[in-house]
Amino acid sequence: MSDVLATEKGAPGTVRSAPARRLPGPRAWVWAALAVLLLALPFYLDRFWLQAGLFAMAAAIGAIGINLLTGATGQLSMGHAFFLAVGAYGYCVLAGDGGGSGGDGLVGLGLPTWLAAVLAVLLAGAAGGLFSPIAGRLRGAYLGIATLALIFIGQHVLFNAQDLTGGFNGRDVPPLNLFGLTFDDSELVVAAVPFGSAEKLWYLGLALLLGGALFARGVLRGRPGRAMNAIRDHRIAAGVMGVPVARYRAGVFVLSSMYAGLAGVLLALVFQRTVPDYFGITLSLEYLAMIVIGGLGSVSGAVAGAFFVSLLPQLLTRYSDALPLVSAPGTGGIAPGEASRYLYGAAVVAVVLFLPGGLVRVAARLRSKLRHIPGDPVEER
Amino acid sequence: MTSVLPQAGIPPLEVSDLTVRFAGLTALDAVTFTVRPGTVHALIGPNGAGKSTCFNVLTGVYRATEGSVRLGDRELTGLSPHRIADLGVARIFQNLALPPHATVEDSLLLGRHRLTRTGFLAAGLRLPSAAREDRRHRARVREIAEFVGIADCLGHPAGSLPYGRQKLAELARALCMEPKVLLLDEPVAGMTADERRRTAAVIAGVRDSLGISIVLVEHDMGVVMRLADSVTVLDFGRRIADGAPGDVQNDPAVIRAYLGEEATQQ
Repeated sequence: MSDVLATEKGAPGTVRSAPARRLPGPRAWVWAALAVLLLALPFYLDRFWLQAGLFAMAAAIGAIGINLLTGATGQLSMGHAFFLAVGAYGYCVLAGDGGGSGGDGLVGLGLPTWLAAVLAVLLAGAAGGLFSPIAGRLRGAYLGIATLALIFIGQHVLFNAQDLTGGFNGRDVPPLNLFGLTFDDSELVVAAVPFGSAEKLWYLGLALLLGGALFARGVLRGRPGRAMNAIRDHRIAAGVMGVPVARYRAGVFVLSSMYAGLAGVLLALVFQRTVPDYFGITLSLEYLAMIVIGGLGSVSGAVAGAFFVSLLPQLLTRYSDALPLVSAPGTGGIAPGEASRYLYGAAVVAVVLFLPGGLVRVAARLRSKLRHIPGDPVEER
Repeated sequence: MTSVLPQAGIPPLEVSDLTVRFAGLTALDAVTFTVRPGTVHALIGPNGAGKSTCFNVLTGVYRATEGSVRLGDRELTGLSPHRIADLGVARIFQNLALPPHATVEDSLLLGRHRLTRTGFLAAGLRLPSAAREDRRHRARVREIAEFVGIADCLGHPAGSLPYGRQKLAELARALCMEPKVLLLDEPVAGMTADERRRTAAVIAGVRDSLGISIVLVEHDMGVVMRLADSVTVLDFGRRIADGAPGDVQNDPAVIRAYLGEEATQQ
């Protein structure tokens, strides 16, 4: 035994070129600059861009959820849109002011809106929990198909449970009220900039996204994350290593549903009206596209993919009239909306073809290239 | 080696009349053997003899059709894999089951799963208890990596290591479970002579200084004869010999199974 030990004892310190405590590196500065930029944006951007940004933040929260499930644990879910709907409608029903006071005659429990938001997230988690006996047992394409059923059931309910959902026309979303601050269009002037709902929600969205991202990162880097990855990489080995596979699958499903529920609540608050059409199979596929494009299994991948998928069409629509071969709608050429969809489709295909591993992989490659410039200490791999 | 203490109270592993059938095919037919505490017990036989099936039953991956597997006074048949792991049965797989992109340290920490408690909430909120547990178990993982001789690889992704070291990392991961019984499915297959020697030394070290019982499936007879305290030979799902390595080696039934009918007549 001793010979084995003697040959390989190797100084423990050499494992990583341990970056000791030093002055904030370039990375910290980038993060600080990004934070300042994000905090300052509502003072400069118009409503269109703020809404687009909020939309992307909500998508990022939802994408983190599905990346925990599909990317990190290897469980294909086509039903993410269902849990978004549970969050969005759950919030409306819990916070709505009921039939009485000149409302829209829909069921509403009239709870404080912050409580309704929290409960809506828990409700989405509970819906995931109800489904988890199935989620714990099925895998691969079978789970995908089972979750697909959720979409159809969900849409059927949304269209037909008129009292709860308002049917085809959807229902209004009560504005959130937090610590006496109402996130509606009642004007609040900050530094000579009128703050409407979009400006106020911007900060809420940032806080929720940051919290959600940090939580998910903690999960992924800790003991649960290792177990989840083990289930994805080698299910049998995971069980043999002592991971209760079915229980973990169910647990991740619940967590992922709660992220979707939170995304749903935020989306509802941004749109100010929920309509059933939105929560269809297309939305589920969009979320899958986000994590594939951004990078499977990581928080940064989910966020990058969510911003890519939700901002690119808006960008293209906004600027497509500046593109060649595009003309005003109805005049014979390609309409801006169509052109944006073509470009969006091409971009998605290009990313999947040329950037396996997603957008985060590109960032990682750039970083390692920068690190290998002469004079810099070279990492060992 | 004082840092890695031998474990007390290793129970015997008793396999009795174990039968496994898959839709008409009998993979194991009333197989009986006992792994005495702290010994290396080799399970050998030609391809398709049922060795891997046996491991799959011992770890709860397959269900036994009949018979029993007992670890001390606990019955293992019918338990799910993670419950069996909880009782202290660890296994390395014939084909590498180490995720190539994760670092070796992360893979080894997975071995600590059954010994740690941090859940979704504690990990997500980074509670102090989670950080404490993480630190403690990382230290233990490093000790075990040093014991196996892969401490210098902890920070590398497993896929970047040579094959032999990956196999050692997998062995280290199984040891991280602090097992009472270790099942090794072809631990030296595909290795260079040098790697074989080193791995065999590690396995002997596990038995001698940790006192863990080891069940070894291996085709390399040199390694089997060197390491094993007792040998069970399987052929077509039946036990055809059982005993000390030297006796089994000269058993006519074993020679017949390995070399064919004519070999015994010459």
